[in-house]
Amino acid sequence: MSGNKALSRFHQPIQVAGKRLMMHVPLEFVAKKAAGGGGRAMNQEIPLIPFIDFLLCIVLFLLASFSASGELPIDKNVKLPNASNAVPMMEAPVVAVTGTQVLVDGIPAGSVRAILDSNRPGKIDELDAVLKAKRELWKQLKPGQEFPGNVILQVDRRVQALVVKSVFMTAAYAGYPAVSFMVGKMGKGE
Amino acid sequence: MAGIDVGGHGGKRAANHEIPLIPFIDFLLCLVMFLLVTAVWSQMARIEADAKVPGPPKETEQDKIEKEKELHVEMKGERKFQLIWREGSTVVIQSDVNRKEVMVGDDVTYPDLAKKIEDEWKANGSHRAGSDKKFDRAVLHTDNSTEFKHVIAVLDAIYTPQRDFAPAGGAGEKVPAFSVTFAAD
Repeated sequence: MSGNKALSRFHQPIQVAGKRLMMHVPLEFVAKKAAGGGGRAMNQEIPLIPFIDFLLCIVLFLLASFSASGELPIDKNVKLPNASNAVPMMEAPVVAVTGTQVLVDGIPAGSVRAILDSNRPGKIDELDAVLKAKRELWKQLKPGQEFPGNVILQVDRRVQALVVKSVFMTAAYAGYPAVSFMVGKMGKGE
Repeated sequence: MAGIDVGGHGGKRAANHEIPLIPFIDFLLCLVMFLLVTAVWSQMARIEADAKVPGPPKETEQDKIEKEKELHVEMKGERKFQLIWREGSTVVIQSDVNRKEVMVGDDVTYPDLAKKIEDEWKANGSHRAGSDKKFDRAVLHTDNSTEFKHVIAVLDAIYTPQRDFAPAGGAGEKVPAFSVTFAAD
């Protein structure tokens, strides 16, 4: 202690450690807070256990509502209509009809413009070839089994009936008589 | 932090263990993120439409095709639908329904048509018993320029009447009374 007093007569580059922050503000309540003398504690505990309970509830809810049955890739250019008397989806080749083209499982298989120009329902040759190839592949993979002939049409809501009829007709001629239209589910009461 | 205290003091290894809550919360958050990303919020469904095409030739003699009543739904006019029960080329009964569309969001519905088709099936349908494996057939006639959303609205209306279906007896299920196909015109 005596050593400190002796040194205090000179300028000291190293100062004694202590509270510095906000201490120069000439307000009493600031000095009080800065010195840690406030009424309420500054440190707060995060309530971890209720937080974990909450997370577990979310996980359980998401697991319960998780379903892959209606999960099918929808072309971003297709806006589907909704219907109330619809049945659950099944596994089948998907033919998407956008405003400009016909796609089978994402691969182009015809032009909507060409169908509209013909002005009457008719067979789409490219689509016919792709669907027949798919049917042959199925028969090779599952020999001896009866081909189910299911196909799902994913048609944009603004597409004209002429195009729908042509795709429908082509699918039927290619050996897919069980045609379904993909729709969104509308509540019965709506 | 949470811990498990089993109270022992004499053993070599510490019997008290801290449950690592922070990694556990991280894991749960990852699980929540994964489930949210992979969740399917809009469930897709389908509306059936059978193509009336002949199947492959059979070796056995084909069954004689009986002429049955079919409900033809014409949506060619702007103002009304025509419902025509036909037996072959003979028109049995014909009625009209006003084409009054009701919008549900962006979707079109025809509740009047659905009601009329249900009444028509109750009055004239041939296959109403639960044990009957056959279904009444409806044929949809539409203009080439009609938008698909209107076609689906009419198909939805045709599928409104429901019947029991229990071909093997026992408890049946409710299924649409009609099987629908498109007219080639």
